[in-house]
Amino acid sequence: MPRRRSAADRRNARVGLAFTSPALLLVGAFALFPLGFGVYISLTNWPLVGPYHFIGLSNYQSLIHDTVFVQSILFTLKYTAIVTVPIFVVGYALAVFVRSNRRGTTLFRTLIFLPYIVGLVAESYMALVELQPGSGTVNFVLSKLGIVSDTTAWTVHTGQATTAICILVIWFASGLTMMLLMAGMQSIPTELYESARVDGASWWSAERRITLPLLRRSIALSLIISVVGSFLAFNQFFIITDGGPGTSTESVVMSIYQTAFADTDVGLASAMSVVLIIVVGLITFIQFHYLQGDGD
Amino acid sequence: MASVRSGQQRAGGRPAPAGDPRARRQATGGRAGTAGRGRSGRRERGGLALYIVAGVAISAVFVLPLLWEMFRSLQPESTVTNPPSAASFSHLTFANFRTLLSGQDDIIRNVTNSLIVAVLTAALTAVVSTMAGYGFGLFRFRGSGLVFGLVLLAFMIPFQAVLTPLFLELHYLHLLNSLIGLALFYTTFNLPVGVYVMRNSFLQVPREIVDAARVDGASVTRTLLSVLRPLVLPGIATSALYAFLFSWTEFLGALSFMTNDSLFTLPVALSNVETGTYGAVNYGLLLAGAVIAMIPCIIVYVALQRYYVRGLVSGALKG
Repeated sequence: MPRRRSAADRRNARVGLAFTSPALLLVGAFALFPLGFGVYISLTNWPLVGPYHFIGLSNYQSLIHDTVFVQSILFTLKYTAIVTVPIFVVGYALAVFVRSNRRGTTLFRTLIFLPYIVGLVAESYMALVELQPGSGTVNFVLSKLGIVSDTTAWTVHTGQATTAICILVIWFASGLTMMLLMAGMQSIPTELYESARVDGASWWSAERRITLPLLRRSIALSLIISVVGSFLAFNQFFIITDGGPGTSTESVVMSIYQTAFADTDVGLASAMSVVLIIVVGLITFIQFHYLQGDGD
Repeated sequence: MASVRSGQQRAGGRPAPAGDPRARRQATGGRAGTAGRGRSGRRERGGLALYIVAGVAISAVFVLPLLWEMFRSLQPESTVTNPPSAASFSHLTFANFRTLLSGQDDIIRNVTNSLIVAVLTAALTAVVSTMAGYGFGLFRFRGSGLVFGLVLLAFMIPFQAVLTPLFLELHYLHLLNSLIGLALFYTTFNLPVGVYVMRNSFLQVPREIVDAARVDGASVTRTLLSVLRPLVLPGIATSALYAFLFSWTEFLGALSFMTNDSLFTLPVALSNVETGTYGAVNYGLLLAGAVIAMIPCIIVYVALQRYYVRGLVSGALKG
């Protein structure tokens, strides 16, 4: 259908573009441009200061042999694998608990969500203090319960540090999953549950046959946010272990940070970033596809 | 358990077991619903008490650690770094806070930096998102889908992955070591959420209101500022709140783009406390600093949480 562009249409276009351009400008300047610029830098031997030249894919080739980087990817994947299921299960259980409109529910929601609001940075500093051998609350409580000795140095052993950080993160992040799943659960029409109850369906079978299928979008969203967030972890490792002992608890983003700002090898760091974007994109795509695409 | 039993009772009174589930529900639902009200009322009250007890216990898991740290920050440094004893509970003092806020490298400057960046980020995000939401929501123009897609694309780009090119770019633009530069960076990565929320807010405004304003001769800007602003204010609050909390708690960007101590935001300044730049590592100061970082979040969130939850819900349902 040939559409005549009237004066009003042209005016709409001009006004619409004018109002949206500041957002486009900022996103273009500080998100899209750096993305392209990063790919460009990754093909050079760019140092933080001084001249540079093109070296093709050398940075990517050296990444394969960069044991610290490869190890950081494996460690981050392991960490992500460890925390994802507990965050989801705890978040789901909490969502079931707070989804009704009973008395007190709103307050419980607020309180359970507080660790997420306060943020992992402040909490990591607190955890660092409380994980100290001989003085921290963690050892004090656990040694009274006879679980560990009160001189356990949590932050200097790979396994113990990882355990402590995983527990901290599960505690921190479950509230967000709870909120996202709760929002999804509340949008499911209650008539569905009523008729299931009339049919004699148990709580569990109603949950499995009604909630889970209809909650697919929310589950996909919460898992993507949680998995991508875990994969981009930085704060807790930087603050609590500083990647140590050695580089055994160094996450991918920490590895990039160190390469760029400690080793001042911006070219290599950018190549790492490109790999990171691809991995994160793949994770998102696979989860999205798997949880949203099939069976609809 | 309760639902299973009531289900069985109803099943017993069912005239014919076969047939469409909805017909069954109509046949028995009304009768069963009124029969056991007195009994289920008592059960519900007992259930509510149990629910509240469980809720308090669960909430304690999430809140007690935070309260405990507030308490710990009031202990003198020697108590924080020595094995806990009964004396831990008697000598409470603001000494950590006093030292932290009055030393020569006083952290008030860092708190101020954090506040400036957070308020600037919230304001910029609110203004830019509102304008963009207005443009996307109420003006159809060619390419608007593409522009909207580009803005949302920033949501797919983890800022952690563009840190190094962004560092160089900000360097060339003289925006390194600049609170404004940091706020622009934070604003950009808060725009996808803000623009999304604001576009939905404007789409929910009844079309007649916009048309009426136009018929009355209000200009496009006038319509936005006088007629529509009160209607989309909740959306503006949501985007500003997200931006404020993001900015206040952000660490990696501030750590990378600020190299001058006097421009550090609070979270970054605390890493100096941690590594003992201000003398030996002082865990008492670190706790006090972490508590200072935590309190504005809690106040702002508790005061404005319905706007926060609103944003989560709209994102979760339409995502």
